[in-house]
Amino acid sequence: MLHNKVKELRARFGFSQGELGERVGVTRQTIGFIEKGEFSPSITLALKLAREFEIKVDELFWLEGEKSE
Amino acid sequence: MKKDFRVQYPLWQMAFIVLLGLMIFSITGASTEFIHTDDKLLIGAEFPPLESILLFSFIFLTFLLIVIFSLKLTKHNKQHPTQKLSMWQIRPIEYLEQDEGMTHITRKAVQKVYTFFVWALPLMAVIYMVFEIPKQWMIFGILLLAFMQYLIYYLEVRKHIKEDDE
Repeated sequence: MLHNKVKELRARFGFSQGELGERVGVTRQTIGFIEKGEFSPSITLALKLAREFEIKVDELFWLEGEKSE
Repeated sequence: MKKDFRVQYPLWQMAFIVLLGLMIFSITGASTEFIHTDDKLLIGAEFPPLESILLFSFIFLTFLLIVIFSLKLTKHNKQHPTQKLSMWQIRPIEYLEQDEGMTHITRKAVQKVYTFFVWALPLMAVIYMVFEIPKQWMIFGILLLAFMQYLIYYLEVRKHIKEDDE
């Protein structure tokens, strides 16, 4: 399972789910699904999200059992 | 999101299926009366009053629903000019494909419906072959499958959207 800290960073950057979705070109619901781990985003979307939070993709997403840096 | 026309579309289909079933039920009642008469040209006159009233009520309700459905569709197309829908499009209206997250939810719902049909269709075929079932009940069976298809799809999509809204 893919883990992420989208919710944490979104709060830190002060974005709502809708605002973040708009910035990366997806719906608010999709951001919600990613935050809950219900849906693993494509590489394109993961790159877009990492770019918004100014971090590397593997710092934003990591596999179960592996720790984020 | 729950009020999105595409999310609510299965409910519309379910309502149309119920009305169609009720219309068939009314016609069946009337036809039964007709079969026992010799004069085949008097089919209208042979309709029992209750069935006639029911049939015309259901036809009226269906037309009313079609009008409201068309208005809702027009409203959706005005609000979402980039995601216009048509009553005559081949691709099912209920598909949510605005982005990869919604496509994922749609895929999950479609998988559930497919699983349902994998079991329901052979089962129904066996029932029809083994038992002597009147024609109208066969039609009701098919309508039931169609109703279940939309119900499963709607509940699955709603589950995800509801969880997200909470």
